[in-house]
Amino acid sequence: MRKMKKLAAGSLAACMFLLTACGGTKDAAADPGVSEGAGETAAAGDKIPLTLWHIQTGTMNDVIQASVDRFVAENPQYDVTVVEKQNDSYKSDLSLAINAGTLPDVFITWGGQTMYDYIDEGLIYDITDLMKEDGYADSFVDAGIAQCSYNGSIYAVPVENISVAGIFYNKDVFAKYNLQEPSTIAELEAVCDTLVSNGVAPFALANSTQWTGSMYFQYLATRYGGLEPFADAAAGEGSFENDAFVYAGKTIQDWVNKKYFCDGFNGMDDDSGQARMLFYSGNAAMDLMGSWFVSTIAGENQQFLDDDKLGFFPFPALDGSEADPSLCLGTIGDNLYCVSASSKDPEGAFHLIQSLLDDEAQTERTANGKIIPLKSFSSDNEVVNEVLDTVNSASGIQLWYDQYLPAEVAEVHKQTSQEIFGLTMTPEEANAELQSAMTSYLNK
Amino acid sequence: MKKESSMSLRRRKETAVAAAVFLVPALLVIAVFVIYPILQSFITSGYEWNGYSSNKSFIGLANWAELLKDKVFWNAFKNNLLVMVLSIVIQMPIGLALATFLDKVGRKGNVCKVIWFIPMLMSSVAIGYLFRYALDANTGFVTAISKFFGGGTVDLLGNTGTVLITCIFIIAWQFIPFYMVYYLAGYSGLPSDVHEAAMVDGATESQYFWQISLPLLKPTIKSAVVLSIVGSLKYFDLVYVLTNGGPSHASELMATYMYSNAFSSYRMGYASAIASGMFLLISVIAIVTMRVLNGKED
Repeated sequence: MRKMKKLAAGSLAACMFLLTACGGTKDAAADPGVSEGAGETAAAGDKIPLTLWHIQTGTMNDVIQASVDRFVAENPQYDVTVVEKQNDSYKSDLSLAINAGTLPDVFITWGGQTMYDYIDEGLIYDITDLMKEDGYADSFVDAGIAQCSYNGSIYAVPVENISVAGIFYNKDVFAKYNLQEPSTIAELEAVCDTLVSNGVAPFALANSTQWTGSMYFQYLATRYGGLEPFADAAAGEGSFENDAFVYAGKTIQDWVNKKYFCDGFNGMDDDSGQARMLFYSGNAAMDLMGSWFVSTIAGENQQFLDDDKLGFFPFPALDGSEADPSLCLGTIGDNLYCVSASSKDPEGAFHLIQSLLDDEAQTERTANGKIIPLKSFSSDNEVVNEVLDTVNSASGIQLWYDQYLPAEVAEVHKQTSQEIFGLTMTPEEANAELQSAMTSYLNK
Repeated sequence: MKKESSMSLRRRKETAVAAAVFLVPALLVIAVFVIYPILQSFITSGYEWNGYSSNKSFIGLANWAELLKDKVFWNAFKNNLLVMVLSIVIQMPIGLALATFLDKVGRKGNVCKVIWFIPMLMSSVAIGYLFRYALDANTGFVTAISKFFGGGTVDLLGNTGTVLITCIFIIAWQFIPFYMVYYLAGYSGLPSDVHEAAMVDGATESQYFWQISLPLLKPTIKSAVVLSIVGSLKYFDLVYVLTNGGPSHASELMATYMYSNAFSSYRMGYASAIASGMFLLISVIAIVTMRVLNGKED
């Protein structure tokens, strides 16, 4: 009997645990459900249905929904369904939709080889003429348009964000241990050593997601060798066994051994925000992340911004390296909104995209910490301006490897970079495997 | 005499027609949703194809040759085998014990029955997220317990050495209720007079369990074992949500590896080869198991 009571108590506790957990998921799932539901009820008679897929989270959902609502109010002939997709399974969803022939009218890509493949496949509508109307394309930052172009035509609108990766840090933690923003990697390592000796994890990292850790690899390689080693390797003229990549791998493993990353990083997932909790609470001091981080925080923990805790500095330079330390890792546009070639009303779909950047949306996006890739963009957020300065002074931008590379090689890159972090492969082994994947892709 | 035989002939004919009429719809459904996809996977496995492109190039058995040499795949297969063996070893006895307990206490155990069944009612995705947070290396409950006793953080999901065994325990947590209910159904099929007769003959409860009810439950246990084997070998959802096969393929299962090839690497041809390979491996193991289990009976 006593045993049973214990069991019952245990299971009861488990139950309550479950209930709270379920409550959480339900809330998170409610948003898209509501917007889809609203779309359905509005579906009347001969309205033209348009579907839009995006992967924004938090308050940015509401901004997009508000833009769409304004669009529908002005163009009542459309019935728009907004679907909020999850970032990490987005590529799978897209590939399933392509197979099933149910590609939405408006969807996002991240550019790079994957987008070119879609274009070659005739899946994306050529919006060059629409973009050129009234000089609309000219209002965007040139690098953004360049990223949306392929073979001289424009295929997407760089709506979301100028996203370059840099190191975000918790100002309170830096102040507490009297630390300064480092400008070289040696200084960064000194900062990390101080933090470790005080029991603070230097970097918050959720690397079950893989692209998160891969950014360290990319930046270190870029600081060592500039843009060429990667460009050459990806074109088949160089190799991923180049010294730059060996340096990147070795440095990461050195940092792992010195406990520069938070505990359990290889098992944590970025979408569920496990590493960010450490960052917010001050148990981790820094986070190498794309500049969407500002708007992620705005949506998740506005208090953190209000308390002026967030600081930013570009990834530090490597002493003795000839590579230009102003080079940035990132993307101008981040999520590029495309019109599907199978859309029944591509022009309407294009105007729908434009509504995401109407005047009101621009104000709301700016308030949410976005760095809109428009030439007219300005912000009074200090961190945003620092990011913007970093971009403006950059001599070049390295597009994320995992978007630049073809999908199958990108997956190998993410996998081997996780192996490097997990110390389950030496940098040499990891780079050799990446190179062999690249070679076998090029030989096809 | 003659008339009668023609009657029975006609009757047999009619039965055959009726059988065909009743079977055709099911056959059609199976043909469209089971047989065709399996054949299609085998066919696709002969192509180099990214999953959406209009040009598929036929490369013969190259995908299969790669599969045979693919260390990650065979490691995933080994992981599947471990999941299979440990699922049987952990889930079957505990499920049986819970069912036996519930069968003994009868109605009084209804509260336990309901509570114990709850994990089965949750979707695997919810369970995955639940345990991702619950086992978080910094804020999870295992770390909290360890810290309470003066230990450090415990990283179960990010560690290549512990991630698979952790997944196996979570899978057990999820599926023990299923086998509990399964065995409970088995118990309810046992005639009650056998129990009475055994008691009248002076058997103890433990004698009754080992000598009488366990042998009578044998058919139920056998089918549970086969279900568990097939389920473990094609297991996917919880591991996909929890770890996505990582870190460093340490919790990779054949199905998660197939998925990432098909939908992340865009290698549909190779993924089809993995799927077909899985089909062959699982079929062989299931057939051998059934042979072995049924052979013992004779």
